[in-house]
Amino acid sequence: MIYDICIIGSGAGGAPIAYELSNAGFNVVVLEKGKDYKEEDFNKDELAVCRREIFTPPLKEEQHVINERDADGSITRYEGRKYNWNFWNGSMVGGSSNLMSGFFHRMKPNDFKLKSVYGEIDGANVVDWPISYEDLEPYYTKVEKIVGVSGKIVKHRFLEPRSTSDFPYPALAVNGATQWFDEACKSLAYKSIPTPRAILPLNALGRQGCSYSNFCGSYGCATGAKGSARAALLQRCSATIITEAFVYRLESDDKKVTKAHYYDKNRVSHVVDAKIFVVAAQAIESSRLLLNSKNKFFPNGLANNSGQVGKNLIFSAGGVGSGRFTFESLTQKQQKELMQAGLFFNRSLQDWYEYDENGKKYKGGTIDFLFEHANIISRATKEFYDENGKLIWGEKLSDKIRKNLTTSRVLTFEVFNDWLPSDYCFVSVDDKLKDKFDMPVGAINLYGHPHDIKVGAHLANKAVKVLQKMGASDISMSISSSPPPNLVAGGCRFARDPKTSVLDANCKAHELQNLYVTDASFMPTGGSVPYTWTIYANSFRVAEHLLNRLSKSVC
Amino acid sequence: MSLYLSDTYSPMFLKARRTFLKNTFFTTALMVMPKSELFGAVSLLETISLIQEDLFGSIKELGINSSSYLSLILHHSRVADDEKEFLRNGVQWLNEEAILHYKHPYIKLSSSQRQNILQIISKQRWGDNWIYTMLTYIVEATLSDPIYGANRDGAGWKWLEHIPGLPQPKEPYL
Repeated sequence: MIYDICIIGSGAGGAPIAYELSNAGFNVVVLEKGKDYKEEDFNKDELAVCRREIFTPPLKEEQHVINERDADGSITRYEGRKYNWNFWNGSMVGGSSNLMSGFFHRMKPNDFKLKSVYGEIDGANVVDWPISYEDLEPYYTKVEKIVGVSGKIVKHRFLEPRSTSDFPYPALAVNGATQWFDEACKSLAYKSIPTPRAILPLNALGRQGCSYSNFCGSYGCATGAKGSARAALLQRCSATIITEAFVYRLESDDKKVTKAHYYDKNRVSHVVDAKIFVVAAQAIESSRLLLNSKNKFFPNGLANNSGQVGKNLIFSAGGVGSGRFTFESLTQKQQKELMQAGLFFNRSLQDWYEYDENGKKYKGGTIDFLFEHANIISRATKEFYDENGKLIWGEKLSDKIRKNLTTSRVLTFEVFNDWLPSDYCFVSVDDKLKDKFDMPVGAINLYGHPHDIKVGAHLANKAVKVLQKMGASDISMSISSSPPPNLVAGGCRFARDPKTSVLDANCKAHELQNLYVTDASFMPTGGSVPYTWTIYANSFRVAEHLLNRLSKSVC
Repeated sequence: MSLYLSDTYSPMFLKARRTFLKNTFFTTALMVMPKSELFGAVSLLETISLIQEDLFGSIKELGINSSSYLSLILHHSRVADDEKEFLRNGVQWLNEEAILHYKHPYIKLSSSQRQNILQIISKQRWGDNWIYTMLTYIVEATLSDPIYGANRDGAGWKWLEHIPGLPQPKEPYL
């Protein structure tokens, strides 16, 4: 059997194509490495989901190698299994979108032309995108409607142009302490923005609304309210999904990909034939698959005669911070408001998406505010050290845990700014370690540009001012070049010039007629927002291109 | 050829492996050899139970079955072998410190002597890491879903006025 389209990976990059093409009557197969789960399979078991990490591969079976570049240029090699360090996010139908928090911000028009607007930066490979915000806007809107985005538009200096006046779903209910935030921002002349979320506040789209379980990020959604690629798209289309199918090699001639080879759970090899192949296995794994698919036509890896596959890997730069609100400094009414469980905080700031410093224009970013995760074990383990950084135990520890967890609550913030692409941050395959399928493991070569930290700190200092104004104590922040494993992009950047990119403007490989890459790999720069909405939107855009292409039968 | 062929981790294999490890871990005594001289054998289970109470006395008041939970951890495929070995070695090294300072294994010491040993090892890198790791698993036992059997009747959750997320698991994963 020859499928019209074979998609490798079922997350936010692959699912819109499966949804659009199968609903249009084309024969689509999705090869997914993980298992299939339904709403009824998900629960809030902190041990299983967050501490034993049941949704990612065991590191003794599949690991990464991390080569970290230090400031002096030296490289330190970390074998993931030994250091318990990995970049897996969710091997399951729908991928990591099942486990996301669903903070949905659009990229801004200037994010698409970083080089033109803000200029070059030494040591960074900053470029403009081959498409504009206007090209992607209709698909951002499509995601709002089909995946489901809730929120409320508030006009502010950096609000992106919209083709609709507001979100199709009203904002989720928020905790009373949100008012304290709004008042603090008002007095600081900052613009408080309700954070848009890919969560339905009410029953719609054949899915149940949010149950306000108080546990969202990191967990699969038991109601279907979260706009995962599985709940929103794959469960609503006729694409064939083959689970526990690990694609280890793509076969090609000099012009086309001809077959996808995958292992099933019993490590029996299978072959899939298709007219068009779409790789969307998550940024690191997509580059790894192409690099592991070398043949006589592509001796350096599929679509890699330019040497660009794996290059310019990016993450989201920035960091986190927090402040504590204690009962001692609150009225009884405020204490009650603070401890309301289940309701979201959902506030963001984008006042410094662009800012001037010493006469120079900087690209800034986004700050999201949210309550510390409700996971009780992780909250308790944060109390193991005293104020002097000394490990404590016994009654002293018990008292500290009880006091802090029952009479205070922590508000956290997350800073998102550009992780500048560079020659030193890229994906390769390791020449020593192999996974359980006997394939070379992915190697993540890490380097964070110093500029990223400067911008991140600028933003974090603004967030700290809000926490101070709100009366928080124990305020802290951490801005570093540590890469967040769930915010990864690049590796197969798209551009018009085949010498400096892997994909063209439609996310088709320059060198092959029927190979597309549609997860976050295509992004040459990441914007200063979480990536998922942009990945969804771009995948819907490519889906439209594929519909046109298949309708004309030019394959 | 990979070591991870499909039948390697069949349920039967896991069950057999769990039984084997459980028996070997808690019935085999550790040999304590300070300064390379064989001093004597100590019961691992007894030592672990006492250490857990010394580190987090609340488990006794709350009725948390922390030792049994640690047994689960030590046999779980998702816990790295290095970590399991570190936990086991830590008990041995703790006993070696106890014998060096008081000429008796940990379980034979008074409460204040035991606390003193914990303070001593906490100033060493391995000791600080080991106590942290032990505390982590004690807290996991205390605050995990009651389905795992350690946090009986949700006593740990009630202690912290914690409202669990819904739905709760219907089956234990460990």
